[in-house]
Amino acid sequence: MTTLTRCAVLAAAILVFGALAAPAQTYLDLEGQVHEFTLDNGIRFLVVEDHSVPVFSFRTVVRVGSAHEVRGITGISHLLEHMAFKGTSEIGTTDIKKERKAMEAEDAAFLALKDERNKGVNADPEKLAELEAAYEAAKDAAREFVVSNQYGEIVEKNGGVGMNASTWTDYTQYFYSMPSNRLELWAYLEGARMSDIVLREFYTEKEGPVTEERRMRVDNSPMGKLFMEQFQNLAFEASGYHHSTIGYRADLDNISRSDGREYYDRHYVGPNITIAVVGDVDAATVESFARKYFKNVPDGEYHEMETYEPDQLGEKRMNVAQDAQPLLLMGYKIENIEHPDWPVYQAIADILGQGRTSRLYTEAVKNQQKAVQCVSFAGYPGVRWRTMMAIMGIPAKDVSAAELEAIVDSEIQRLVDEGVTEEELAGVKQRARADFMRGLDSNNGLAGQLAMTHAMTGDWRHLFREVEQLEAVTVEDIQRVAAEIFTDNNRTVILSENLES
Amino acid sequence: MKTTHKTLMLLAAVAVVALAVTAAGAKEPWEKIKIPELNSVEMPEYERVELPNGMILYLAEDHYLPMIELSAQIMVGSIYDPADKLGLATMTGSVLRTGGAGDRAGDDIDALVEARGMEVETWVGQSTGGAYLNCLNEDVDLGLELLADILMRPQFADEKIDLAKSEQKAVISRRNDEPLQIAMREAPKVLFGPDHPLARHPEYDTIAAVTRADMEQFHAAYFHPDRMYLVVIGDFATADMKQRIETVFASWERSTTPLPADPEIPALPRTVNVAAKDGLTQATVLLGQKGIRNDHPDYAALRVGAQILGGGFSSRLFKEIRSNQGLAYAVGAAPGTGWRFPGTFMAYTITKNETVEAAAKAILAEIERMLAEPVSEAELQFAKDMILNSEVFSYDTKREILDRMVRFEMYGYQPDFLQQYQAAVKNLTPAEIHTACQNNWTPDDLSILVVGTPAEFDGDLSVFGTVNEIDITIPAPKPMLVIPAATAESLAAGAALMTALRDGSGGAAYGTLKSYREVDELNANIQGMDLTFTIETTVEKPDRMHVMQKTPFGNMTQVLDGDTAWTSSMQGTQDVTGDDLTDMKNQLLTTRFAILADLDAVQCQALAPMDVEGAACTPVNVTVGDESQVFFLATDTGLIRMIQDQSTNPVTRSPATRKVYVDEYAEMDGFQVPKSLRLVYDDEQFGTITVTSFEANPKVDPALFQK
Repeated sequence: MTTLTRCAVLAAAILVFGALAAPAQTYLDLEGQVHEFTLDNGIRFLVVEDHSVPVFSFRTVVRVGSAHEVRGITGISHLLEHMAFKGTSEIGTTDIKKERKAMEAEDAAFLALKDERNKGVNADPEKLAELEAAYEAAKDAAREFVVSNQYGEIVEKNGGVGMNASTWTDYTQYFYSMPSNRLELWAYLEGARMSDIVLREFYTEKEGPVTEERRMRVDNSPMGKLFMEQFQNLAFEASGYHHSTIGYRADLDNISRSDGREYYDRHYVGPNITIAVVGDVDAATVESFARKYFKNVPDGEYHEMETYEPDQLGEKRMNVAQDAQPLLLMGYKIENIEHPDWPVYQAIADILGQGRTSRLYTEAVKNQQKAVQCVSFAGYPGVRWRTMMAIMGIPAKDVSAAELEAIVDSEIQRLVDEGVTEEELAGVKQRARADFMRGLDSNNGLAGQLAMTHAMTGDWRHLFREVEQLEAVTVEDIQRVAAEIFTDNNRTVILSENLES
Repeated sequence: MKTTHKTLMLLAAVAVVALAVTAAGAKEPWEKIKIPELNSVEMPEYERVELPNGMILYLAEDHYLPMIELSAQIMVGSIYDPADKLGLATMTGSVLRTGGAGDRAGDDIDALVEARGMEVETWVGQSTGGAYLNCLNEDVDLGLELLADILMRPQFADEKIDLAKSEQKAVISRRNDEPLQIAMREAPKVLFGPDHPLARHPEYDTIAAVTRADMEQFHAAYFHPDRMYLVVIGDFATADMKQRIETVFASWERSTTPLPADPEIPALPRTVNVAAKDGLTQATVLLGQKGIRNDHPDYAALRVGAQILGGGFSSRLFKEIRSNQGLAYAVGAAPGTGWRFPGTFMAYTITKNETVEAAAKAILAEIERMLAEPVSEAELQFAKDMILNSEVFSYDTKREILDRMVRFEMYGYQPDFLQQYQAAVKNLTPAEIHTACQNNWTPDDLSILVVGTPAEFDGDLSVFGTVNEIDITIPAPKPMLVIPAATAESLAAGAALMTALRDGSGGAAYGTLKSYREVDELNANIQGMDLTFTIETTVEKPDRMHVMQKTPFGNMTQVLDGDTAWTSSMQGTQDVTGDDLTDMKNQLLTTRFAILADLDAVQCQALAPMDVEGAACTPVNVTVGDESQVFFLATDTGLIRMIQDQSTNPVTRSPATRKVYVDEYAEMDGFQVPKSLRLVYDDEQFGTITVTSFEANPKVDPALFQK
């Protein structure tokens, strides 16, 4: 009966979409293959079976990122991502009871040191040295019980590949692929880190690798400094997008394990978690393992509060002179992914600055040879909250960022004044169809798209609607929205010029 | 005796069982989870085809998406770049795609590709090149047509070459911005030597030197079907696709000459190198030495050894440097195995400046430990589990499987190389790994490269050897002469400079000069022979010139007398007419004596200052009628340092930029005469000239101007 119904729906759909190119059939086909279930605690699972090779990929998306951080604990989402690889009460320890005790001592030593350190110039150097020594000793004592990297080792030993995670403003995601006979082991491992991390090596990790990562990605990278930090700082003041995911150095110094615990307990809750599993798995089996191994994740509440970034009163601009080649960053505030104009933003970004026929590339790179790259994208630095249409330009040799800005300005003005052609818009739609399909071309890719779409929009089906929504965009929509967003008052500009020139 | 033996054996068996029970009892929670038998891996069906023109196809059908993907590997690379045109291969790879092909302009191809949502790309890397097409199956004919045009009939339009050059120059100008990029660029130079084909990189001048003709030649030399391997996957019927591909590439011809021999990879002794960049709080540390090719007998053992040393979360380096010592975010080691060339065994970390030496020492200590004692059984078992349990991922996409088949075929490996490797891993012992590491890793030979801010380092690194400082300054481009439109200011400045030249090199004497005679000795190397010519020039103003050349092959005379001219030699006398006559007249009009005698008749435009061989100069573009030449006037003396014009190479007779450098002046008969000169065509020295005598207003024998 079920089968029959689905066939009938499919047949009807083919009739409806018959005028479109054949691919329409494929989206519908795939959409019907997504099994979904929600655990009692609210975790949403999405499963697609593909038995061609005995492997599977998964993607866990937790709806927590730097945008959810308040000042004082910036960088904590990313730090927790690192902590999720440090094991649980069962994995990574020689004796969890003794370890917890040692960690408590470590916390006390850290807090004492932190208090003294934060007295600044009034800190007592002697006491500081004493506390420093006590803290180091406490860290060493806690490390006694650590089985280093055991969590990752279990994955690797069992043939897991591509293990990694990333944190961004809107989310934290975890992923790897495994041979399909390790499905239950995976459920055990993933369920454990969603409910039972012990935040071991908390201080060593934030002072060592996380601080080094900040140095590598931000402090020692002229482009990273601007793109990863200053651009957000300048553009956003009220909303959580105002600071970078890597966090401020001072906050990293001050964050304590109890801050981490509180943050984890608040955000790693069922309604905040979406997990997609794609590959040689049986959906019913996934469900039974999920019920067994993820039951300890608290149901909690999904609470997300956006401090809506108010309208700018005028242009925000930063002129940077640094020992690096010039760079242009521009951003225009746009509404978030839930806004009906979201597909229009995507179309504008595509026509303006994506691909070899885009307007910025054609004018700045091809015609005037003033840039080697000039791209735009809608949704920086995030999609869940009020965000930006961002433009990044890399000037050609001996060209200043200011010169490139003038070209970008005139292209934007042309877009506002003249709009776009039907032909340009048709290209956007055709590219979107092809790109959508390319995104489905691997277990990992599909798992990522499903989980991310669900986490960001509240419904994974939007993945299959995006192309249709884009189909509905008209040249009039584009001109209307362009006029709305591309105003001087609405923009943020960073001009980074070479110190020497 | 017999009984005892039996009992012992039994005891041993019991012991083994008992141990197993104990182990099972102490099982960790995750070890209790059942791991069922893995479903078998089915090799996808594919077909290998060799086309009549030598192209190799690997085709596999995949009907999941209505798309087709073609991915070509081509035996071409920047290792074949001429030393003075580095960047040629890379730019050829990009202009193939952008510069137009067949009867379509590049922009038209872009428009087609973007409108259909296709992807079409070409590139040339260091030792291979490639082409890629991804399209909906309904667009496959157009896609194949574009791909064939691009690979076989590229146009290399000049404006797209300029664009590629602009991109390359931007890349060069930005190459010291990111520290990691500096390390990746400098490491091969440290390991193989700066001029090695795997180490060298473009500079502004090598990019500027590349011409359209170079690209056409490079394309003609390296792009042939018998050097191309094409993997085709997607929604098609194999026989039909094979036919389509054969048809579009049918007229492409095989190569006729073999590829140049692969460069040798040297095994250099240790050097310790620091590339300094100010203002960094973090340093990149690399340690490396020559590795092996993948068909080396130690391949499996070395890969597993490197895995244990520095591959991933569970490696010794990760645990020690990142987890235990907290020195770094990034740390690891690469086994140093390569498909085509021997690879580079390399360990790396990114750490703060203050722990550079400590981190390097810690890495070296871990490498030493690999050589001092065999790895533990547990470590080996872990590495084996990791490699063998993830084996299935070697077969998880068709693309991966077919790409691997291509790689094996391109570089001469057996098709079952991977299975052999996996079998070898299964049987490895700690002793074998130990021996393989000892055979190949010699810590004393590991060269060290650090990119950071040395003033902040925890040591000067001399503990590892004499420290070389690497200068990462980007060489400025050779100055290019730019002649903008003349302005009143630039003309006035030019006239002032030329007046100063006149006043400083003879002054009023130019005005009273009616005739002069100069004898030069020209020493030139022509086709391997050192030859000396004596040239005696007599000029009688306004329109008479007599030039006699004494050459090793006999004498030759050229005479200009007003509107007639002739040459005479052993072959007899011949009239000079037409363009040749005009040239001779122009030659007389454009001598510096003619120009300086009447500056009002000449347009002199000062250009932007420019050094000539380290001497500050102002170039002045001097135009007489249609003839222009640029006088480079030294800032300090005001005299000519060099004269540049467009001329003809005397040996090849092809157009060339001529530069005459003045190395020495002498006062002769009231003039500052350039006495010692060098003659250069297209930046190659042709010969030197010494002026042996100069006479102003000599007595001129009228017979000189009689035929």
